[in-house]
Amino acid sequence: MNPIGAILLVEDDTDDVDLTRRAIQKNDLRCEIAIARSGQEALDYLVAACANSGRNPAGVPRVVLLDLKLPKVDGIAVLRHLRTDERTRRLPVVALTSSNEQEDILASHAPGVNSFVRKPVNFSDFVKAIGILGRYWLQLNEPPPVPNP
Amino acid sequence: MRTLEAGQPVIRFESRYRARDGSYRWLVWNAAPHVGERLVRAVAHDVTERKQAELALQLTNQELETFSYSVSHDLRAPLRGIDGFSQALEEYCGERLDETGRRHLERIRAAARRMGLLIDALLHLSRVSRTELRTGAVDLSALARMVARELQERDPQRSVGFVIAEGVTARGDFTLLRVALENLLGNAWKFTGKWEDARIEFGVETAGGWPVYMVRDHGAGFDMQYAGKLFGPFLRLHEAAEFPGTGIGLATVQRVVRRHGGRVRAESALGQGTAIHFTLGGEEQDGKEDVAVGAKTKEANHEPNRRHPARRG
Repeated sequence: MNPIGAILLVEDDTDDVDLTRRAIQKNDLRCEIAIARSGQEALDYLVAACANSGRNPAGVPRVVLLDLKLPKVDGIAVLRHLRTDERTRRLPVVALTSSNEQEDILASHAPGVNSFVRKPVNFSDFVKAIGILGRYWLQLNEPPPVPNP
Repeated sequence: MRTLEAGQPVIRFESRYRARDGSYRWLVWNAAPHVGERLVRAVAHDVTERKQAELALQLTNQELETFSYSVSHDLRAPLRGIDGFSQALEEYCGERLDETGRRHLERIRAAARRMGLLIDALLHLSRVSRTELRTGAVDLSALARMVARELQERDPQRSVGFVIAEGVTARGDFTLLRVALENLLGNAWKFTGKWEDARIEFGVETAGGWPVYMVRDHGAGFDMQYAGKLFGPFLRLHEAAEFPGTGIGLATVQRVVRRHGGRVRAESALGQGTAIHFTLGGEEQDGKEDVAVGAKTKEANHEPNRRHPARRG
């Protein structure tokens, strides 16, 4: 079966990368998963994917799952960059983080995050959360049209 | 000076002065002009110590913020790893484990999940202390009814009679007072769990002209011998198997009440229930600690006003 879309997971913690992959598998989401281990890597990937979207629209992720606490360029800085760049400003971004501190929620919504989801400690709950996110962003949501190159 | 020249009084004007020894002192001025007498009467209070305490508090709050940020981001992730990879181990290698091995694995997972709950409780408690207080008129009766409805919806099999007094209002922070009532009514709900047709009351009494709010249940109660542990965080008076919980509820209530300038006290008797009374400021501040006083005990009969210092959170 062909993948139905791509997810970019921006996550520096190896355990969380593996657990998220596992949760995606368990939900049978059948999508390609790209991993960025730092904020800068995510920005490089997304800017290139959006710049090439005319030739390869499938290379643009249907959703970006963004951890907030990342080395050097943190998640909020990534989000701000994405929202100020014409090529990436419409990308759906979900903050997927351990924290539910008000400060993090506000800081994510201010530049325009599409959704804020707290990663549960309980792995079964985490699998459920990834399932809901995947089904919504990959299957239910209509992605924004690819901008003209 | 312009205000004084315009004939207006100056109230609580704060300024900093350098003393001869090079240290700084803060003074608060209240001054009033008496134009007819060509006089200005002014009083200054030295508030240096208060200012220093405020600065220290500000620093402590910043440290608390940093600490909570780190707890929130860094402490939960490894637990997700423990729980997630234990589950993977169970799935991939479960058949190679015997009954004892599988039981140990399940205990590892249960411990990780419990630690997750404790971290959340700790964050919740620190948030109650850090949140900015937004005071307004709060309809406590409506709030209590809402919390009661939520408890009933979560556990529809139970038959609990709520007796909620009408028209109980207070000035306070809606969100924090909601947290307090959720904990108090939630505790009452939990500790009446083994009683059929349990009853939980919410109301207000007046003492010394000030309102004293009260949540009372007729449930398990506790032995007043351990009352000192009642308001300490993570201290529990019942075994987890009997009544589950993190032990954070009354510590949270105490912080909410203190942030409003009030006090909280408990009355209880084993097997007869518990009543928690709290004020939200206004009453005479006599410097006494929040207390737990035993009801229907010998000591309480002889000395009804005797107060026991409670262990602080």
